[in-house]
Amino acid sequence: MSEPITVKVFDIVGGPLCVSAEDGQRLHDKIVPLLRDGKKVELSFEQVDTLISAFLNAAIGQLYGEFPEDRIRELLSVKDMEQDDLAILQRVVENAKTYFKEPKKFDQAWKEEVGDEE
Amino acid sequence: MIYYLPTIYSNQDGYEQLGALAKAAQGLSANRLELSFSRVAFFDANMAAPLGVVLSRIANDLNAVEIVDVPVMVERILRKNGFLTHYGYQRLEDTNRTTMPFRRLQLSDEGLFADYVNRQLRGKGIPRMSAGLGRVFKKKVFEVFQNAVIHSASELGVFVCGQFFPQKQRLDLTIADAGIGIRDKVRQFFRTDKISSVAAIRWALQDQNTTKPGPQPGGLGLKFLHEFVCLNKGRIQIASRFGFYELNKGKDSFAKMDADMPGTSVTIEINTGDAAQYCLASEVTPESVF
Repeated sequence: MSEPITVKVFDIVGGPLCVSAEDGQRLHDKIVPLLRDGKKVELSFEQVDTLISAFLNAAIGQLYGEFPEDRIRELLSVKDMEQDDLAILQRVVENAKTYFKEPKKFDQAWKEEVGDEE
Repeated sequence: MIYYLPTIYSNQDGYEQLGALAKAAQGLSANRLELSFSRVAFFDANMAAPLGVVLSRIANDLNAVEIVDVPVMVERILRKNGFLTHYGYQRLEDTNRTTMPFRRLQLSDEGLFADYVNRQLRGKGIPRMSAGLGRVFKKKVFEVFQNAVIHSASELGVFVCGQFFPQKQRLDLTIADAGIGIRDKVRQFFRTDKISSVAAIRWALQDQNTTKPGPQPGGLGLKFLHEFVCLNKGRIQIASRFGFYELNKGKDSFAKMDADMPGTSVTIEINTGDAAQYCLASEVTPESVF
């Protein structure tokens, strides 16, 4: 098997703060062509100090709308992440899987508490 | 016009009072607002952020805003945090370093916000705050700001202000935007005008619910904040249009407000004396995460 291409998140974002959806989108746009080509991608979070879900939703979460789960599992990996950041990523991944399987529909329960009295 | 602001606490009544000010100034254009603080016995410093929202909207209608008759104790705190310097007052040095200064930022000023957070959180309960707590709190603050960037469409920007209470080991931080509010965002998403502010806030707080357009999933930021504040025994307040939400002592409460508070204001109060080890909360491995 070929060696994965290491993408250093710090370099793509330009610093240690991964706190915006816009930066997450830039990272996403960098890795999608590689994944489409069937290349293995390893995201390194070395030197990343602060990471939030809005960034990860854009960078990784939306991949689940573009690639099958097993393809992502096969091609994408992460390293150099703190334990709490891994926990956030896990929630982002679980959330994305559900999101793309069951897009939110207008919930009937709304009718009990809606109103235009305002 | 002259408007007499009453005492403003960081609670539902405080937001109702600010909404009442917004309503009173509705229709005022190319005119003058004299905002008298003579009836303000107390002003929670973090509430300078939502007051900034209301006053910026009034100023945006080409009105001159003047703040007068500020009682000494109130003036001292609002000069220390820099709020009153926006209205011609001299800054007062914050020798105890307990304020988190009032700032008005544009949605595109994410870098400036990051500077603000990194600079201001240093020394505010930190290092008294455990390293793990400081790190987690910082993330929640960025999540709230990012929500404003993604959802608020606030042309007048985002207003930030906070206060640290060393004796009580509490830090209050409010991030307020002057945008469309949660209700209208949710109404747009479901293409209906039959959703109340309270129902919209309730919906936004539920797992996986997001109005984010396009292919990005979302809806985690507020949930993470909720979980964190429950563990930390802190407090959250969200005021948006006619809706008010509070998480206090682990209990959620929702209320309809009589007044229309523009935009969305989120206050996080954390217990800085919390020694919990937030970093060791889970055992996820890179191999199992996808």
